[in-house]
Amino acid sequence: MPERLLLQHLRPYAGRYALGCGFLALASLCALAIPWMVKRAIEALEAGSAAGELQGYVAIILALAAAHGLVRLGSRFAILGGGQAVEFDLRNTLYGHLQKLSLGFYQTHRTGDLMSRASNDLSAVKLLVGFGALSLMATTITFVGTLVAMLAIDPRLTLYAMAPYPLLILLAKRFNSTVHRQSQAVQEQLGALSAQAHENLTGMTVVRAYTMEAGELRHFQRLNAEYLARSLRLARTQAAFSPLLGLIAGIGTLTILWIGGAAVAEKRITLGSFVAFNAYLAHLAWPTIALGWTLSIVRRGLAAMGRIAEILSVEPEFRDAADAVEIAPHVRNAAIEFRNLSFAYEGRGPALRNVTLTIPAGSTLAVVGPTGSGKSTLGALVPRLIDPPPGTLFIGGRDVRGIRLESLRRAVGYVPQDPFLFSRSLRENLALADDAADGKRLAEVARVAGLAEEIEGFLHGWETVVGERGLTVSGGQRQRAALARALLADPPILILDDAFANVDAAKEMEILHALSQVLRGRTTLIITHRLKAAREADWIVVLGEGRIVEQGPHDALIERGGLYARLWRIQQLEEEISRA
Amino acid sequence: MRSHVGANQADGHEDELLGKAYDSRLVARLWEATRAYRRVVLVSAFLFFPIAALELLQPYLLKVAIDSHILRADWGGLTGVAGVFLLTLAGLYALRALQSYLMQLTGQRIMHDLRHRLFAHAQKMDAAFFDKNPVGRLMTRILNDVEAVSDMFGSGVVAILGDLVTVAGVVAVMLAMNWRLALVTFALVPVLAVSAAYFRGQARDAYRGLRTRLARLNAFLQENLQGMTVIQLFCREGAEQRAFVALNSDYRRAQFRSTVYDASLYAVVEAIGSAAVALLLWYGGGQIWEGVLTFGGLVAFIEYTNRFFLPIRDLGAKYAVMQAAMASSERIFGLLDLEPGIRSGAAAARSEAPPIIEFKNVWFAYEGDEWVLSDCSFRVAAGERVALVGITGAGKTTIARLLNRSYEVARGKVLVGGLDVSEWDLTALRRRVGLVPQDVFLFTGSVEANLRLAADGAVRRDALERAAAVANARGFIESLPEGFGYEIKERGANLSQGQRQLLAIARALVYNPAVLVLDEATSSVDPESEALIQDAMERLLEGRTSLVIAHRLSTVQRADRVLVLHRGRVSEEGTHAELLRRGGLYSRLYELQCGR
Ligand SMILES: Nc1ncnc2c1ncn2[C@@H]1O[C@H](COP(=O)(O)OP(=O)(O)OP(=O)(O)O)[C@@H](O)[C@H]1O
Ligand SMILES: Nc1ncnc2c1ncn2[C@@H]1O[C@H](COP(=O)(O)OP(=O)(O)OP(=O)(O)O)[C@@H](O)[C@H]1O
Ligand SMILES: [Mg+2]
Ligand SMILES: [Mg+2]
Repeated sequence: MPERLLLQHLRPYAGRYALGCGFLALASLCALAIPWMVKRAIEALEAGSAAGELQGYVAIILALAAAHGLVRLGSRFAILGGGQAVEFDLRNTLYGHLQKLSLGFYQTHRTGDLMSRASNDLSAVKLLVGFGALSLMATTITFVGTLVAMLAIDPRLTLYAMAPYPLLILLAKRFNSTVHRQSQAVQEQLGALSAQAHENLTGMTVVRAYTMEAGELRHFQRLNAEYLARSLRLARTQAAFSPLLGLIAGIGTLTILWIGGAAVAEKRITLGSFVAFNAYLAHLAWPTIALGWTLSIVRRGLAAMGRIAEILSVEPEFRDAADAVEIAPHVRNAAIEFRNLSFAYEGRGPALRNVTLTIPAGSTLAVVGPTGSGKSTLGALVPRLIDPPPGTLFIGGRDVRGIRLESLRRAVGYVPQDPFLFSRSLRENLALADDAADGKRLAEVARVAGLAEEIEGFLHGWETVVGERGLTVSGGQRQRAALARALLADPPILILDDAFANVDAAKEMEILHALSQVLRGRTTLIITHRLKAAREADWIVVLGEGRIVEQGPHDALIERGGLYARLWRIQQLEEEISRA
Repeated sequence: MRSHVGANQADGHEDELLGKAYDSRLVARLWEATRAYRRVVLVSAFLFFPIAALELLQPYLLKVAIDSHILRADWGGLTGVAGVFLLTLAGLYALRALQSYLMQLTGQRIMHDLRHRLFAHAQKMDAAFFDKNPVGRLMTRILNDVEAVSDMFGSGVVAILGDLVTVAGVVAVMLAMNWRLALVTFALVPVLAVSAAYFRGQARDAYRGLRTRLARLNAFLQENLQGMTVIQLFCREGAEQRAFVALNSDYRRAQFRSTVYDASLYAVVEAIGSAAVALLLWYGGGQIWEGVLTFGGLVAFIEYTNRFFLPIRDLGAKYAVMQAAMASSERIFGLLDLEPGIRSGAAAARSEAPPIIEFKNVWFAYEGDEWVLSDCSFRVAAGERVALVGITGAGKTTIARLLNRSYEVARGKVLVGGLDVSEWDLTALRRRVGLVPQDVFLFTGSVEANLRLAADGAVRRDALERAAAVANARGFIESLPEGFGYEIKERGANLSQGQRQLLAIARALVYNPAVLVLDEATSSVDPESEALIQDAMERLLEGRTSLVIAHRLSTVQRADRVLVLHRGRVSEEGTHAELLRRGGLYSRLYELQCGR
């Protein structure tokens, strides 16, 4: 699977690699021709022929050297450049794919881990398709070429010189699997280490407040020590194996020195041939020595590709069906209907049970209920952050699963309970829905969200960069920024998930007031714990353990004397007590 | 460049701090870092001498074999030489294996140590530091920079030393064997030097560009992964993909540029090596005619020439390793040199009794003179329960942060138990002052581990359960598939927001501090649970000093006293009823909330 995926990404650059291969062959030819010329030159010297002949060889060698340099350069540009192109494509593909994966995926994969795949693993793949490929091809070509040249000089000597190589292949195989196992163990440990460090650094507020530093350090140290142990295990294998290749190449040379030397002595071959033979063997030595390195690049690269393929093979949960329809951005009839909807997160009991509910177009629905009763789940289903079962959720009379995802999300403005801001400027954060939004429009949504004055008050105004995750603005400012950016898209449907939890009551009233004009004609779902805000809604739904336990307008619910009435009384009572 | 890279641009700039491949100040510090392993370093460096000697011996053996035995058909002598050759091979294998392991050992150990130091250092840094340094950047220090330094020990600097030894040996042997011929070979060295200097300079610039772009690319990626839901909700996939592709192709271009110079250097050095062989043949041929040089000598010389150029050819790669290591160690030491802006005092808690809290004319700004608190003063008596209210952005969270000394005040004093927080031992202070932050952060791991946090094994399970019950979290925890053993995902993603808050409260109760600061701890909790928590806490807060920050006035009114924060200072204070009577900001807020 990873191999196939890799090939798929290599295919567009087949031409480049072929070209590189051609260059490599030429380079190899030049490299082989030089010792041949040296051989001829020495033979000429031995024969004591004219100086002119020697100079001829010298000139040829110089020319070959220049040509060698050039084609060598060509091969590197072609193949390394090709590798970089593959990396480029793969990175784009990976990012593009990640963008298609849903909330569920991001909740089960840690950011640290994804980052390590997208950066470390990708580099390992680049090494494989760049230097690894280059080195593999060069090794093959050099081996074949050198073998031919050696056979041309003396087949018997060649046989002797090659004798240790089968052993080499055997060893390489053994080594290969050991290294694979050990380097996988190292990578895994690195993943664990980086995940812990990442989490510690992001949770520093808590680490600090709860004086966890020493314990965290101990934990890190344990992971760190294990990483060291695993790396050293790998280092031992590599230390034993890599010089072994040099040894085997050296034994070839030794054989030639001994048997070939005897052959020269017996005048079966010339001294020139002997020298050339030696040079050829030396040619083999380098790729042989580098073989260990190349193999580990290949192994690591393939393992890394496997980890990347794992992500790429995660099917996006939501794919537009072939017959999915657009809903115009300003749909008139944006009624929302839940039909006997049940939903459960993986490994958990149902979060919503048999919810049947209609929010008529242009009306406002408030959802209240205890912590964990499924309110946010209900809200997140509408823009399909999580996927409703087929036939349970309808917008404008159409099953949301049959609406093109992009058009659905453009139609739904969603303010999450725990908003995330990018560490970009406030302007960019508010203009997410429309990069081209002008200052007037931005100021307008900021005003409605009750944020305008504060932005003006900031030292850098609209250009204030909000820090990682928006943590350098106050909690309430973050929530209101999230509201403003949702309003900017001017969506016909608006979902506010506890959007004023961190905003003071006065501000909330002010915002709700400003919103009430903006909300006219929009279908709105307000999730809240403050019943004062719920009271204004056209219809109120009370959720309890995933079920609708009561619904109706405020007064009816009060009259009914159920959960809502009780919650209301609690809030009223507290006011009463305090007023007394 | 789009401005959103702003925050990461700093990283980019920092990554551009890349210059020399050798910086004596940094090298001195790295040398210092090897202190514990110095013997190993010295042994592995020393091993170069026997390795180089054996390597140099091989061509010489070849010469002896040709001149004294092959050309004289002396089979016995040849066998003897071959035997010696075999010995050199065996010796080389053993020495190289040993050296390779020792080098890795040093490299890995140094990596281990530096990681430890960086992580430990990060634990000491204050909040202002984390405001300025994105997590991604710190991760780069701990993962990649440290690795670059370790590479230097594993393959860079030590190998360069080895190469120097080899080259010096080759030069010496060549000069000794035939200095004229040696000089002919060296005639090409100036050409080599000039081209190497040129390409290397270019390669360095290219490499610098490469680092910067990679840092940008990764910062972008990291943030977008975290904010993926927002991207999808706003249908920004297209725009973000375009931005990503732009960064990616920037990176690719920089990478290719770097390849061009590296490859050119490599090719040029190799061509010069071959040219040197040609020169040798030409000049050596003449010498053979004159009878000054033997065939064996010529062959050995050709071998030596190869061994002279080989390390020089690979120098480019090793130079890059060195350069990366220097740049990385500069950043690592830069981070290690940053003193925490907040230094711990030495005072420990003087008694177990709940302390008094006092702000005396405190001035504070996150940035420059954008004052968040200006001349803010208030006092919370021992065991008193005080509520802090104020409009959003007024600085309530800031007060909470100053209390456990996450930030340092600019002017004035924060006193806990009558002692300036700067005199407190930080750990002792934070043991006394427990904070439930506004942004709940849960760790991946079980519910139980999240409740225990620093307490480790010291807290009994039933104490956890009791705390969970007070925080009204016990019910939902027990309904989870594995109860207290339920695995929480990154940042608590598989719990509802309110449930996360309940856990955060329970965790503070397990921590059992003398001062409890609740920063909007129940903002996302339903009124009923909130009332239940309030009732249960009533008992718990007895005998503790507590500061409760809340927007919901229903939370506030149970407090003994209310402080109203406005325009950077406490503008009103008193009991709920007094404040209502006074008719100031508080009563306005209150009336608004009660809708009358
Ligand atoms: N880390 C920070 N760096 C820079 N400015 C900050 C940082 N944290 C908060 N601020 C700014 O300081 C001011 C006070 O913020 P603070 O978080 O103390 O307000 P708050 O009263 O807690 O508000 P809220 O009720 O919305 O939580 C705000 O204008 C905010 O933007
Ligand atoms: N990603 C998830 N994976 C597994 N379980 C989840 C996930 N998100 C929520 N839950 C569980 O589903 C139930 C409903 O959660 P939801 O977030 O909808 O509650 P809520 O009504 O919004 O609560 P709150 O008032 O606290 O925000 C809870 O028990 C919660 O633990
Ligand atoms: Mg919720
Ligand atoms: Mg706050």
